[in-house]
Amino acid sequence: MSRPMRFVVCVLVCAVFVFPLVAMLVVAFTPRELIFDGGAGLWPDRWTTANFTGLAETFPVWRWFGNALVVATLTTLLAVAVNLAAGYALAKLRFRGRGLVFIVVLSTLMVPTQAIMMPQFELVARMGLIGFFWAVILPSASTALGVFLARQFFLSIPVELVEAARIDGCNHWTAFLRVVLPLAKPLVAVMSLLAFMTQWNDFLWPLITLRDPDLYTLPVAMSYLQGQFDADYGGLMAMALVSCVPLLVVFVVLQRYFVAGFARSGIR
Amino acid sequence: MPFLNRRSLLAGGGLVAAAPALSGCAGLTQRVSATTAGRRDLLSVQVYGTDVEAKIYDELARRFEQTRRGVTVDLVSVPFSEASVGIDTGLASGTAPDVFRVDYPTMGVYASADQLLDVGDALDDLSGDLSEAFLGAVSHDDRVYGMPQHVDTSALVYRPDVLRDAGITAVPDRPEDAWSWDELADVADRLTDAAPDGSSAFGVNWQALGAFRWLNFLFQAGGHVYSDDLTRADLDSPEGRRALEFTASFFERGWVPGSTSTKAATYPDALFTSGTLAMLYAGNFLLPAFAETIKDRFEYAVTYLPRDRRRASELGGNALVASRTATNPDLAAEFLAFMGEADQMQAFCEAAVLLPTRTSLLDQQLDFAVAADLMPVYADQVTTIEDRDVADVTTATFAEVNLALANELEQCFLGGRSVEDTLAALDEQVSESAALNVEDGAR
Amino acid sequence: MSAPTVERPADRDVSSEARGRAPAPSRGGSLTAYAMVAPNLLLIVVFLLVPLVWALVMSFQAKRSFGPGRWTGLDNLTRLVGDDVFWRALLNTGIFTVATVPLSVGLGLALALLMDRALPGRGVFRTIVYLPIAVSTLVTSLVGLLLFDETVGIVNGLLRDAGIGPVSWQTDGRLAMVTVVLMTLWTRVGFGMLVYLAALQDVDGEVMEAAEVDGAGPLARVRHIVVPWLRPTTFFLVVINLIWSFQVFDVVYVMTNGGPGYDTTMLVTYAYDEGFGAARNFGYGATVGLVLFVLTLAVTLVQVRLNRKVEES
Repeated sequence: MSRPMRFVVCVLVCAVFVFPLVAMLVVAFTPRELIFDGGAGLWPDRWTTANFTGLAETFPVWRWFGNALVVATLTTLLAVAVNLAAGYALAKLRFRGRGLVFIVVLSTLMVPTQAIMMPQFELVARMGLIGFFWAVILPSASTALGVFLARQFFLSIPVELVEAARIDGCNHWTAFLRVVLPLAKPLVAVMSLLAFMTQWNDFLWPLITLRDPDLYTLPVAMSYLQGQFDADYGGLMAMALVSCVPLLVVFVVLQRYFVAGFARSGIR
Repeated sequence: MPFLNRRSLLAGGGLVAAAPALSGCAGLTQRVSATTAGRRDLLSVQVYGTDVEAKIYDELARRFEQTRRGVTVDLVSVPFSEASVGIDTGLASGTAPDVFRVDYPTMGVYASADQLLDVGDALDDLSGDLSEAFLGAVSHDDRVYGMPQHVDTSALVYRPDVLRDAGITAVPDRPEDAWSWDELADVADRLTDAAPDGSSAFGVNWQALGAFRWLNFLFQAGGHVYSDDLTRADLDSPEGRRALEFTASFFERGWVPGSTSTKAATYPDALFTSGTLAMLYAGNFLLPAFAETIKDRFEYAVTYLPRDRRRASELGGNALVASRTATNPDLAAEFLAFMGEADQMQAFCEAAVLLPTRTSLLDQQLDFAVAADLMPVYADQVTTIEDRDVADVTTATFAEVNLALANELEQCFLGGRSVEDTLAALDEQVSESAALNVEDGAR
Repeated sequence: MSAPTVERPADRDVSSEARGRAPAPSRGGSLTAYAMVAPNLLLIVVFLLVPLVWALVMSFQAKRSFGPGRWTGLDNLTRLVGDDVFWRALLNTGIFTVATVPLSVGLGLALALLMDRALPGRGVFRTIVYLPIAVSTLVTSLVGLLLFDETVGIVNGLLRDAGIGPVSWQTDGRLAMVTVVLMTLWTRVGFGMLVYLAALQDVDGEVMEAAEVDGAGPLARVRHIVVPWLRPTTFFLVVINLIWSFQVFDVVYVMTNGGPGYDTTMLVTYAYDEGFGAARNFGYGATVGLVLFVLTLAVTLVQVRLNRKVEES
């Protein structure tokens, strides 16, 4: 296909892809009456910020934001720590049962959480975690993708490096900390971003375990608002916009890392 | 955590430090929940309802505190949509409130799963003043598990002006004069002919969770949901067919708007208050809302539900129950008995415009806060509820039945499915879940 | 003209090593290793494997979302087999999968090929296409509602301006499925494109040039060099899209709630409704969930088997 042709096709394709986001942006600033009257349109007669102010006045939006931040941050910290460690051990350390551990981690891919959400809920309830963010944080931390990314990265670090550190007198632990870990900055960046993004956008499990509106993260809050707002798309889009803009900005700025993570997930 | 390098650690630490500033330690070190278990001298109570109901609950809770020195009642009122979720979660985590408000069918689910406190002894006095039907509504396996606080039911709200204009002069003002189905059909036809574009003759309140109100028509035709022993469905019967044909005709003949079928997302009250409907099957709990939204815009009155072989209307309303794991079961039972005493029940029903369950109170003329002139029709309508009607809707699997009704009826009303097929499908689904009834009951 | 053989470049060897034959790891370090692996294992065992076993147990019980369970043997299973709604959910999930997987992978490939070679603004185009990945499923679904709402939606508004009557996106079962599929594709195509782009980086430039010199047209080059090269990537994308499609929940829950009727009810939404809805039937919900588990397991095992076969050949 010739270059100008490809350019035109790209523009068309991107117009289609960006259309929903543009719609969301426009409707968020469209007065409610205009939507009810003639339906939502792409260029309203009037613009307003009433949807946002109305939203903030009636609902604890800042609280939901805070919740999302706390949950995503804590999950990311825990996930990176736990998956990084496991990935390194699987890549670089020899120990009995390594194959079994590998299979157990693999099993997390085969067991969809949706299949076991009911006993998971009961377990978490019996552990007394309902009413706390820990009900969301703890089960979400360990992921196969995280472990595999770490393992793949550490495999590419030459064994000689670790050996050299050991010869210098480090034990395995210090070798990991002092020598290998400083090299893993890009890995940590990728793992953190992926974990953060996944947790920020997670819906089903927080829906099940976060029972009190004061604890809602953003996706659950949006579902809750859907019930409250009925067909008030202005308000809904305002909330949607507010929820996705922070992550989108981070995503665009740090695309490099996200892309690296996703692309690598394709190579096992 | 030693894994991360200094910069990311600082960043992470900064975030973690900032976050609690945004949302406090709630959720991290402090439990956030609307339900808490009580203590020896603290009774935790969860209710839902309108603001008026929340207020009267609070008042009665304070009254209880005064009769029992040293006891505090921690009353929490939550939106209805959050109530059952909170209770379920509380029961699963062991933090359920000591006492909570629940509707009769849902109560059946909790009772059959052995989650409620047996309060038969504490409610001895009340039981003597209850009809068989209402006692049955809170019983399971011959034991009493809750205090039937009030009952709601439906009647036919109508607009005298619209009916007059359509040439309908005789509206029943005595129970024995209630319209027959044929008479309702005639009225509906006349209303439809006279109705301006966009208006309809009437609407029925069987949307979403109210799908079971279709059973009113089944009962009126003389039919029932289950066989006598509740083991099989009895829907695919001549009575069932008659009821379904009649109700399906509402849509076929354009008497009701197409948007008022069983799976509609909104209730038809708004249609009535905006003037689109001439009549509405409405519950008595809507009267306060009507008073506020309709005000003086037009006149409205209430008449008895049309009858077929018999008169019938649904058992609505709520009970107060105690959790089996209540910290102080005696206190919880005492509270239920207290709320069931005539004085308290009267105060509650008068303020909230709901019907009492005590026979002695039903015979009286209560001084309702709003719409006192319209309540007598409802009070009479409540007397048409029979034991077997109650048994049909308080099984452990009522929720499944309600859902099956909503889905299948929608197929028949709007999806063009035949009456025979719909009844067969309904019968099958109800029979299937009926299996759980027996086993749950045979403990 | 026979297809030229493609030499596997260096980093392909690394990835095949990554599949199991790691370079000799350092000796000892067992204690450290156990310490490093333990937290992860603990989380997996407690929050994944225990519930898995429990789900199996629950499927043989009559259990509400609270209270003890009561053994009922195969009752849940027999109910499942005769449950029209379950079969409908399974069918719908199948239809959804068939609609989303080939399109996600195919469109991903097409866009990757489109945006692979230099183009002004290529970076911007690519970002726009995979931006929806960062948008949560909730936002996607709400925007989907905005677009396809029958009465006030944007699409119907545009159609109305163009003179076409309102399309019943919510009341027509098939159209409801279409809306759900479209919004899902919006988020999936970008991921496919991303993965393909990464794989395309490694296509041996020399071989492509040689083929071009040999007279192979662009389409032939794509068919005979690129596509076989991308086979592992395609395989990976197909599998992961399959699994994602089996697990669909969010978009359906928000946009249609399984409706109209049961026209868009999926396995997971059905399991959720049974377990966490009015029926509170954990036993039956767990049974439906196990069907999902078996499906996922089957797909993963097939993948492993095929992977091994490819490795051996």
